[in-house]
Amino acid sequence: MKSGRWITETGSSTYLSEAVAIWLRDLRGEFRTRYAVNSILMFAVTTLIAVSFSIGSFRIGDDEQPFLYAVLLWIILVFSALSGLSRSFVKEEEAGTMDVLKLSARPQAVFLGKLFFNLTLLGALELIIVPSFILLMNYEIKLPGLFTAMVVSGGIGLGGGTTIVAAMIAQASARGALFSVLSFPLLLPLMITAIKGCEKSAVGTNNPGWPEVRIAVAYSIVMIVMSLFLFPLIWEESMQ
Amino acid sequence: MIAKVLLTIWMTAIIVAAFLYADAAVGFPGETSRILFFHVPQAWVATLSFLLSMIASCIYLARRRVTADNLALSAAELGLLFCLLATASGSIFAKAAWGSFWNWDPRQTSIVILLMIYGAYFALRSAVGDPEKRRVFAAVYSILAFVTVPFLVFVVPRITASLHPEDTMNPAKPGMDPKTLKVFLGSLLAYTGLFIWILRLRLRLLNLEGMQEPEFLVTEKMDLEGEE
Repeated sequence: MKSGRWITETGSSTYLSEAVAIWLRDLRGEFRTRYAVNSILMFAVTTLIAVSFSIGSFRIGDDEQPFLYAVLLWIILVFSALSGLSRSFVKEEEAGTMDVLKLSARPQAVFLGKLFFNLTLLGALELIIVPSFILLMNYEIKLPGLFTAMVVSGGIGLGGGTTIVAAMIAQASARGALFSVLSFPLLLPLMITAIKGCEKSAVGTNNPGWPEVRIAVAYSIVMIVMSLFLFPLIWEESMQ
Repeated sequence: MIAKVLLTIWMTAIIVAAFLYADAAVGFPGETSRILFFHVPQAWVATLSFLLSMIASCIYLARRRVTADNLALSAAELGLLFCLLATASGSIFAKAAWGSFWNWDPRQTSIVILLMIYGAYFALRSAVGDPEKRRVFAAVYSILAFVTVPFLVFVVPRITASLHPEDTMNPAKPGMDPKTLKVFLGSLLAYTGLFIWILRLRLRLLNLEGMQEPEFLVTEKMDLEGEE
């Protein structure tokens, strides 16, 4: 691998090079086992099929469609993400690789690497689920640009808000349930915003400046910056 | 001791005054406006303890004193209690004034989110075994949750218009009756006093528990190591 250009003149690694190294390592591990991808995607696909099968594409009237479909889409996305995103840290704990990771990278770099990995997973999830949802439910979107921006910024917010929670619950008991319990109150403002934004894009209300997208972007920035501050405290606690 | 007696007399006086001295506000069905003297101070204490818990969490992360974490924990416990009280009393008012106990008014939405955050905070505390780790994680979560609250200010009012009485009942605006204002401020003081009193009791209890803790933990850890 050509990692030479990431290394500084003194030969030491930078935050970014460490983060990218962790990201690539996680991607490689994921490519071999496909554990997180399989569980998240199958969860999402199962939910999508259940929703589509039980509601169908003609049951909900045209007036209600933009709002209700946005709600269903975000429920599928958020709960699929909650089902598998904690994997990024839980797998380190299970494999006993926490200490080695701690030696080889700085805390912020570990956080960024895991964040990149979670965002990659979320990107793959949205790439598959959102088009399938639109096709299966016959979701008419008047403003595709706003819709895309909302889905992307909402995805970044999902990753930004949950990565640090994953780091905490990896060291707690009852991990799976706790991850959803802790993440959901943090994600609620984002979820309400994203639903509103998707509804507007389906109706065709083009507010100048896309306030919902801006709220989601602001949320993502705030959560990622706060996590960068708080993550080292959690990370040093995981020393056994 | 004297403070406790004074607080009892003061609270009793406020409760009597709330029903007998102050007049019912105009524009509310029957006597429903008297909820102001109980519901608003409860919500105020719930907010105050949420803020106090977050500040104590920051202090704990900076200085690592157990007392700071005890303060954060007891403030969160009291916050949950007063949050539940405010939800219940608000719900009774909603039934009397708006016709249903629950209708997802923006104020109700935001208090539910606050309850969920408290619930998650205690779930996290009970799921982490190591005390040191538990304190750090709880403090971190408390700060994270606090950071998301401002977004609710932008998000929640957009869903529906609120029916929550604001203008006729806001003491900062000149619309309030002077008698009502007097009792309201007295009640605010009484509830804050009550909060401080319970908080101090809880802190004393936690400190006493903390004195026993180290010994118990040492033996438990040794047992575990022995088994391995």
